[in-house]
Amino acid sequence: MNIALFFQQIANGLAIGSVYAIFALGYTLIFSILGIINFAHGAVFTLGAYFTYTFMGLAFGFNGLLAQQKLPFGLPFPIALVLGGLAAGAIGVLIERAFFRPLRMRGGDSLLTLVSSLGIAVAIVNIIQYLVGAEAYAYPMSALGGLPPSVNFGTPESPLIVRTVQIVIFAVSMIILAGLTYLINATRTGKALRAVAEDATTASLLGINTDRLIMFTFFLSGFVGGIAGTLVGLSVTVTGPYFGIAFGLKGLAVIVLGGLGSIPGAVIGGLVIGLAEALVPSQSSALKEAVAFAILFVILLVRPQGIMGRVQVQKV
Amino acid sequence: MLEIQHLTVNYGGIQALQDISVTVQSGEIVTLIGANGAGKSTTLRSISRIVSPRLGQIIYEGENLLKKRPDEVVKMGIAHVPEGRRVLARLTVEDNLLLGAYTRNDGAIQKDLHHQFERFPRLAERRKQQAGTLSGGEQQMLAMARALMSRPRLLLLDEPSLGLAPIIVKSIFQIIRDLNSNSGVTILLVEQNAQLALNTATRGYVLEAGTVKITGSSADLLGDDRVKQAYLG
Ligand SMILES: Nc1ncnc2c1ncn2[C@@H]1O[C@H](COP(=O)(O)OP(=O)(O)O)[C@@H](O)[C@H]1O
Ligand SMILES: [Mg+2]
Repeated sequence: MNIALFFQQIANGLAIGSVYAIFALGYTLIFSILGIINFAHGAVFTLGAYFTYTFMGLAFGFNGLLAQQKLPFGLPFPIALVLGGLAAGAIGVLIERAFFRPLRMRGGDSLLTLVSSLGIAVAIVNIIQYLVGAEAYAYPMSALGGLPPSVNFGTPESPLIVRTVQIVIFAVSMIILAGLTYLINATRTGKALRAVAEDATTASLLGINTDRLIMFTFFLSGFVGGIAGTLVGLSVTVTGPYFGIAFGLKGLAVIVLGGLGSIPGAVIGGLVIGLAEALVPSQSSALKEAVAFAILFVILLVRPQGIMGRVQVQKV
Repeated sequence: MLEIQHLTVNYGGIQALQDISVTVQSGEIVTLIGANGAGKSTTLRSISRIVSPRLGQIIYEGENLLKKRPDEVVKMGIAHVPEGRRVLARLTVEDNLLLGAYTRNDGAIQKDLHHQFERFPRLAERRKQQAGTLSGGEQQMLAMARALMSRPRLLLLDEPSLGLAPIIVKSIFQIIRDLNSNSGVTILLVEQNAQLALNTATRGYVLEAGTVKITGSSADLLGDDRVKQAYLG
């Protein structure tokens, strides 16, 4: 393998791995508060990508209720990205209020919740198809404004070329990661979140409105999911209503690998899987999708609680 | 200050409290004593709104507490130190204390933090340590200091002596008396150690199987034959 190719693959791995990381954090946040896995997260990822597309003022295709429709205005990509994330966050809150919360109030068990969240994922896929059809959507080349398509980190004689998109994806993911880390570790709200995660009853005895924090957690989860969806859409295309389903499964591999409920675990897990996939030789690229699960299997044999996981304590 | 009227609480099919009435006047230390399972903790949890009673009323300073959320109860000036302390083990001592002031947004939080560290010097030494690494007595002090950070007028204490060495129990009860007499905090104290509780409180209620069996001043209860026989050994 030559050095230029290797360099590119590492860059690819870091870019996709960083998106895995922020996406997986969406699962982790909800898991650490409620002890459940929100299978609708992959669908929220998909919605984020479509929301951004919509906010950019781009027209939909020939199928679905919104065929050929578009907003009367178009926003630049960075603003559309943030709005797409916010809208996905709002969907997260809606899912919590409409599904998770009523089930929780009735004391529904976690299997019931899990199956419901799968149902939500399927419903979202169907709604997207109904509204805008099953075709793929791509953000236009102009999304990155005046940036050149690639950057050479080497010399003209021995180039080390990285696609600008990969740099943007990595940078945005790192900003999100830094923001979340700050929020959780250094703010009052973050401390309250950690208190609810550790012991919700005690948190409410301290005057923390746990219901509101749970909503906020779903918002954050939806937000990072939506941003991740847009970033992957930017890198490849938005492949249709099922866009986030395979990604959702990959995200599950990431959190189990990193250790359920662990924030550093989600980050390390994401980067490990992203890099490993990128280093699969191109002649065996058909195996790429299997790599994440192979790594997962091997690590779990050695460390059943995942890389950063605590030995599981029963949630009360 | 606090008036619990005809309170009945069920956990599924189990009846934990049946038609109990308890009052606490401003400035008092009132104790609830009784054996394990009598319903003492359930009474405190009803006040804090983390269990929902089936029947009855809880009036605090003229307001119906049963219409409030747990966080609103804290804002109204009631703090609850739960049974088993329940410190947030993975957070530092200091973060536990700051979370105690979660409902406040005045400028005096740092001053109060400092004040709690003066009251509990052991906590000051360990302020950056994870709360889970503290000893039982230190955790009890942390749970109390954390509750005080909300500046309560009514403090609910659930078995503060549980599992602690006598010397630590003594200092904790000294602090309880001091909070009441010098800081003017009204206290509702739940204890299994009846002797200790009645020596600290002005009045008491004896709970048995979810009902109030006997009530009276501490002196009366200490002299009561039934109390002597069942609880004072
Ligand atoms: N979460 C719960 N679920 C079911 N039963 C409970 C629960 N908590 C307490 N109980 C029952 O309610 C009764 C009163 O319990 P509790 O208020 O904890 O008593 P005490 O604090 O006096 O020991 C007991 O019979 C106990 O078993
Ligand atoms: Mg109890």
